[in-house]
Amino acid sequence: MVLKELELTSFRLHTKTVLKFSDKLNYIVGGNGQGKTTILEAIYYLCTTKNLNQALDKEVVTFNKDDFEVKGLFKEKVENKVQLLFSKETNKKNTSLNEKTVSKASNLIGKFPVVTLIQLDHAITMGSPAERRKFVDSVISQSSDTYLKTLIDYNRILKQRSQLLSNIRENYSKSLMMQLDSWTEQLVKNGTYLIEQRIAFCNGFKEYLKKSYEKIMGDKETPGIEYIFFNNNNELIEKKFFDLLNEERDNEIRRAANLIGPHRDDFLFTINGMELRKYGSQGQHKTFQIALRFGEFFFIKDKKGITPVFLMDDVFGELDTYRAQKISEYLREIGQAFITMTDFGKLEELYTGNGNLIIKVDNGIVSYEEL
Amino acid sequence: MQIAEPLQIAIDELSKLPSIGKKTAQRLALHLLKTDPENVINLIKAISDLKEKIKLCSVCFNLAVDDTCDICQSTKRDKSVICVVEEASDIFAIERTNEYKGLYHVLGGVLSPLSGSSVDDLHIQELIGRLQNTEVKEIILALNPDTEGDTTSLYLAKLIKPLNIKVTRIARGIPIGGDLEFADDATIGRAVLGRSDL
Repeated sequence: MVLKELELTSFRLHTKTVLKFSDKLNYIVGGNGQGKTTILEAIYYLCTTKNLNQALDKEVVTFNKDDFEVKGLFKEKVENKVQLLFSKETNKKNTSLNEKTVSKASNLIGKFPVVTLIQLDHAITMGSPAERRKFVDSVISQSSDTYLKTLIDYNRILKQRSQLLSNIRENYSKSLMMQLDSWTEQLVKNGTYLIEQRIAFCNGFKEYLKKSYEKIMGDKETPGIEYIFFNNNNELIEKKFFDLLNEERDNEIRRAANLIGPHRDDFLFTINGMELRKYGSQGQHKTFQIALRFGEFFFIKDKKGITPVFLMDDVFGELDTYRAQKISEYLREIGQAFITMTDFGKLEELYTGNGNLIIKVDNGIVSYEEL
Repeated sequence: MQIAEPLQIAIDELSKLPSIGKKTAQRLALHLLKTDPENVINLIKAISDLKEKIKLCSVCFNLAVDDTCDICQSTKRDKSVICVVEEASDIFAIERTNEYKGLYHVLGGVLSPLSGSSVDDLHIQELIGRLQNTEVKEIILALNPDTEGDTTSLYLAKLIKPLNIKVTRIARGIPIGGDLEFADDATIGRAVLGRSDL
């Protein structure tokens, strides 16, 4: 899948910008604060309806304007027009696909898969378990609708159940305990599915991670990913899940919190069997983050049969020449990518084959240069 | 612009109705103003009758004119089956099919701790009370297939099964006349899991 055209209206610095893209690599070049990342932000909105850097929607609207609009034209076998309109007044986003309103964001997710490599990625390898769960959940969700829907249900169950636990703490009754059993059953049913899918994901993703890490660093280092959930000692996951919840019941009521389940799990990243979070160098972290994203790209491409678009925000600035070159070579295997960078000097070191495009951005004004 | 007060009040009252916005309310009010007085009186009577005469059935909590609803009073209905639904409007939906000849029970909601709805807020005790009548052989749970509906179904099943009454749940899956390829994955997934013998 490729993004052919993009139109931004009242979107940060871009009062009205129309862009046409190459099917291959699109280098978006310009100084700081000129509106480079904004273009990636807009593409991300079209694919997910969410903000790339977790900014608030109203912050994206151009100063003194009331709403922003992003329009895009995707092409796979057929053309698909996606349009997203945000209004400050209602604080709501309205998304449409081929001029038909999309009622739920989850109906759009996965249709136009997107992979991002941004500054915030450092949190995946360095941050809290929640960041790693978010990464894994988003990769599986983009390739499986059922997983996404189960995850949404599961989060709803968590909220309901913790409210019920808090009700029980305040006012114990047999009837409430019976209700808790029903919610527990739902928690285990949906949670077990999530756990099984995550196990399967780690087993499959391992190879993708290994391959992309090798492309960048050679085969001196071998990366690993492992799912850390409650120890089931070869028992059936569902049964163990129930047993643990039974053991923790009093604790759960006392703290009015869901203490067991996939919402508390973690993923362990390793290099040559050593835990990355404890022993990894800055460079290893960075390489790992890049390998995760390239792995994600090829994983989704194989699972969905659709080539995602790749967004890379200012990645080359941080890398040494050797790795920048390796990544640049690796980019030839990718379909369409959008790469922001601050200075032209780096461009010379990079792969600039036929059909690639340089887009210069200067204070929201765009000009092109073909390679 | 200053609008005559009685008209403004009518618009405000009408716009309190569900799915009626300010503009629609204004159109309705102006229409009422133009129409025959007789029509307006009939409408007023219909609305006040609605409030005065419609009660909840003392047995199943369906909407009723008498103490019990038409379905509970009917001698033609199969009294061995009770279909449990969330709201009275669900009864209309099932009745339209003409497929079901049993009785109903309206819960008046589903279990949802977040919106403060618990067992005591629903007509669950009344349902259990009805089951003491040995005529009942099957309970059909027809709640909405979302998280809260499913949990309520689980809860009811646990409560009813010890009474030696068959508990079933309505099937979920592909809509009739719907194309398999257009159904969403979760629906197809569940339909495959809940497949039936031929």
